[in-house]
Order: sequence, then C-alpha cells, then structure tokens
Amino acid sequence: MTVLALESSCDDTCAAVVDFDGRMRSNVISSQEAHGRFGGVVPEIASRQHLEIVNLVVERALEDAGATLEEVELVAATQGPGLVGALLVGLSTAKALAAARELPFAPVDHLQGHVAANFLRVADGGSNGSVGAEPFEPPFLCLIASGGHTLLGHVTGHDGFEVLGRTLDDAAGEAFDKGARMLGLGYPGGAALERLAADGDPRAFAFPGSAAETARGGRGARRKAFAQSLDFSFAGLKTALLYTLRDLPEAQAGARASDLAASYQAAIVDSLILRAERALERTGITRLAVGGGVAANGELRRRLGELGVALHVPARRLCTDNAAMIASAARFGERLPYPDYLALDAYATGESRR
Amino acid sequence: MIVLGLDTATPSSAAALRLADGRTSEARDDPRPGEHPGHATRLLGLARELLDEEGVGWREIERIAVGAGPGTFTGLRVGIATARGLAQSLGVELVSVSSLRALAHGALVAAEAGTDTSAGEWILAVIDARRGEVFAAAYRAREPGSLREVLAPVAVAPALLPELLARAQEEIGVRVPDWLAVGDGAIRYRAELDAGDVHVPSEDSPLHRVSAAAVCALGADAPAGGGYQSVLPDYRRRPDAELALRGVGAGEDPPR
Ligand SMILES: [Zn+2]
Repeated sequence: MTVLALESSCDDTCAAVVDFDGRMRSNVISSQEAHGRFGGVVPEIASRQHLEIVNLVVERALEDAGATLEEVELVAATQGPGLVGALLVGLSTAKALAAARELPFAPVDHLQGHVAANFLRVADGGSNGSVGAEPFEPPFLCLIASGGHTLLGHVTGHDGFEVLGRTLDDAAGEAFDKGARMLGLGYPGGAALERLAADGDPRAFAFPGSAAETARGGRGARRKAFAQSLDFSFAGLKTALLYTLRDLPEAQAGARASDLAASYQAAIVDSLILRAERALERTGITRLAVGGGVAANGELRRRLGELGVALHVPARRLCTDNAAMIASAARFGERLPYPDYLALDAYATGESRR
Repeated sequence: MIVLGLDTATPSSAAALRLADGRTSEARDDPRPGEHPGHATRLLGLARELLDEEGVGWREIERIAVGAGPGTFTGLRVGIATARGLAQSLGVELVSVSSLRALAHGALVAAEAGTDTSAGEWILAVIDARRGEVFAAAYRAREPGSLREVLAPVAVAPALLPELLARAQEEIGVRVPDWLAVGDGAIRYRAELDAGDVHVPSEDSPLHRVSAAAVCALGADAPAGGGYQSVLPDYRRRPDAELALRGVGAGEDPPR
C-alpha cells in the first residue's frame, strides 16, 4: 500500500512516497533560492516556482522510490495552513493526479504533518539520514518551531493533537531570521546567527524571554501572567535587539556581534525550553518530539537533551517542510473517495479548515 | 481525437470536452461580480460532469488543452497545475493556447453559427488585468476559424488601446472599418473603447466569455509541443516584488 504526497505551503516544493506501514521510500525537497534578495519569501514568486517544477519533483519522488503511478493507492497534499497561492499549486496538481486515476485523496493539515513526521519508519543509514527505524508512538508532547509556526501540541493519537500553546506574534524561525538580518547576516540567516553565537556570551544581554532576564527580575505583572502561559511571543525580543543595536556605540556593535547573537539565540531557546518544560510538568508526560526548521539549531538540541525525557528528533529533512510527513499524516487522517475531493480548496495561515 | 479543454484566465472556470467527431460540450462557472472565483473548487468538477455526461472515461482522453492566459495569476496557476497533473497522471500530451486567442475564436465561432451577428473580420480580445490595466490582443479572421494576430498580447492601460490599434493598422497597411471588442476587459472599459470604430457587445453577450470549447478547438489543431512540463502561464507581468526591487520605471519595465 503506497501513498504519494505533495507539499507546497511555503517555499519548498516537495513530493514523497511512503508505504502504509510508515516506511519512507522517497522524500524529494526542492528549495527555492529566489527569495534571498527580497529578505523573505515573496508569495507570488514562490507560487510561480512551485508550478515550474512540481511535476518534476513528483517524477523524482516516484523514481527514487522505484515506484510508478500505477502503484499509488492514495494521493495526499497539504491543504493548509500556508500561503494560499503556493498551496493551490500542490493541491491542484495532487487532486488532478488522483482524479485522472479515480484514486482516493487525503487533504492534510500542515501542522499535523509535522507531528506525523514522528510516525515514519526511516531505515537507518538511508540517504535522508535518520535517528531510528521505529516510529515514535503517542502519547507525547510535540514542539514545532519553524519560520512559519511555533506551537506545543499534546499528541494522544495518530490523527490529531491538542494545542497547548502557540505563538501570539512571530514564529521562532522568523525571530531567528529577523535577528540575523538586523545583525547584517542576510536571509535566511538562522544558521549564520547560530555560527556567530558560538563564540559569544549568551548572558551578555538580558533579552526578553531569556533566563538571563528572569534572573534579573523586575518585570511587570502582565509579563508575569504571560510567563505562566504556554504561549510564545517573539515580537518584543526583536524590538529589544533593535533598540540594543541602536544604543550601542558603533565601534562596540561590531565587537560585540557574537555576544548579541548568543544572547538573542539564548532568549529564543530559553523561551522554547521553558514552555516545553512547563508543558511536560503540567501533563505529566515524559516524552517529547520536535519538528520544524528550528529543530536543526544545535543550542536548542543541546538544551532539549538536558530535559531528561525521552526525546525524538526526526532527521533534518523530516523536521523542515517535506512531503514524507504529509504522506505519513495521510495514512491516519481523512480519506475521501473519488470524486468527493474535487472541490477542496486551500486555507491560509490563520484560517481554519473549510 | 478526444480533447479536454480548460481555461481559468478570468474569474470564470471553463471546461470543454471535444469528441473524436469534433462535437464539443462545455461546462462553466461564471461567478457574479464580487463573487469569489471557483477555479480551485469548480474546475475539476466541471470536467468530471462533462465526462460523465458523454460517458467518456478519464483514460480515454487523448490530449489536454489549457488556456495559458494572460489573466489572473492564481487562476492561471490552478488551471495549468490541474492540466499538468492530469497530463502527468494520464500520460497524454498537453498543449497550451492563448486565452486571448481563445476569446477571439469563441466570438468568431459564435458569429459563424449565427448566434450573434456582431462579429466581423476584426476582433479585439480584452481581459481585465486589474489595477487599471488590460491584457489585450487583436486578430483578423481571414478564413472561417482562422485567426491571424495583428496585435500581439500586451498588458496596457485601456486608454492606450485605440492608439495601439491605429499603429497595428498602419503596420499592416489596412484601414479597419470596425473592431469587435470582447472580454471582461472590454465590458469594464467600454467607455475607453466604445469610441468610433470599436464596438462592444452588450454585457450579457456570451461573446465576452473565454470559451473552453475554443480552447479545445485551437488545442486540437496545435502541434504537440515540448512536453507537458513546459506549459506555463503567460503572466505578461513580473511579480510586484521584482518591479519594486528594480525601481518602477527603470530598465525595460513595465511591459507595454
Ligand atoms: Zn512547516
């Protein structure tokens, strides 16, 4: 039994073939590089590029899997949330691929996809890299942090999760990218910021949300109430970096760049760790999975490792946006027979499923 | 040859099925003004309705023809992604057709069939490009069913169209007695066009719709191209972000 899935919610064009037992047979990711000069993903450009290569990516995914369309029994695609114009390219392609063969179709929620990355069976030593061949089974908590979303989910089954907390403004990966840009590191700059932070002192600046700030105390009542919540907020951090840079004498800003990067990174990581820790305590669950591009951050991984719980970090190509996770979710989610899915539409970030 | 034709260049979604004997049936969704286009939600369903009505299976389709625009960007992408997905799944060839030419062709066929007598020899196809612009192209119907392009597709302010038409006439050395202007752009900018030698049919005339049957007819005659993956929208305009980056008015942009 074989699933073919497509994912195109942002700037990666992805297709994958996964068997119903969770064995990943291929996972093709084509990342767009056209957005760097704009300092962020441009939806119109992303949509154009998706359309140019989406069928080729599907072809590659089948080839890598040693499969043909004849073998595919279920087609899946990300329905939302994401950039609607980008989503519509993958969704329209997938619906057409399925309809022409009168196959069933599975519309998948992108965030459920990140959770379902943990249910994949990835052969060790495979070209995509992996941490283990066995799926990570519920119940567990899942921390998803990327450029598009930041949330903590309570996963009790294979087909859904309860949201314990989410970002009230920017996503964690967005905070990394914006900080990197302010420090003159280009876009996307998360990895560059991490490298710069390696030589810096994470306690040099007490940015909002950081343990250093908590240690110094002196916050208002509103912030204290927020500090008890499982929701995230990174907008204040971004502003704090902006003001710090503005107030530093020019000569110092350069000399202290690595301290700034380290302190800024620490504030993001502290914020994520603090809420993950709190959620584990409150639910009494001792298993934690992570997903999203920020899971590639070394400092976050190190700190997660210190939590003392059973930790599951999928391979990097399964943490960032990919279609194998969408196929994985499709195995457990809603499956519409032909022709019941022909009218499916995409939904944007902030919209709910229609 | 059995051809499935699709067009999503305007807010309408249109599908048509042309059978081996040339008989063609069309199904369409024309949203009322202000209504959300149904490209993503209606297009595939329309195609399925036609197949079911004619008792034709997906696998019997021998060619897919798609209107490549110019038109609304997201609409074009939904139509072309759908057409490419079908072509990939069925292993059949995909050809693209200019939506402006299909619009003109539809008007001509309607005139020849006598359903509307207003179509003459000279046709101006105009699709609303929003932001005060239109996508337009002009054609001359030499023989029945055959259109020669006399003004290549452009994205332009509607007020500039009369001047472009005058220049086109000069180039071909013909004084055109009257133009028939069709399309949602012709309806919207009637005031700019309906002067002197340009005639715009009434708003409810079917001549204003891009016909998927015309896409089928043009697609059936088109030579098979470079494979379905080479079929892409005719955007006719660069993304705003690129224009902003280059500075508006700098270099060769914007197109006209
Ligand atoms: Zn994601």
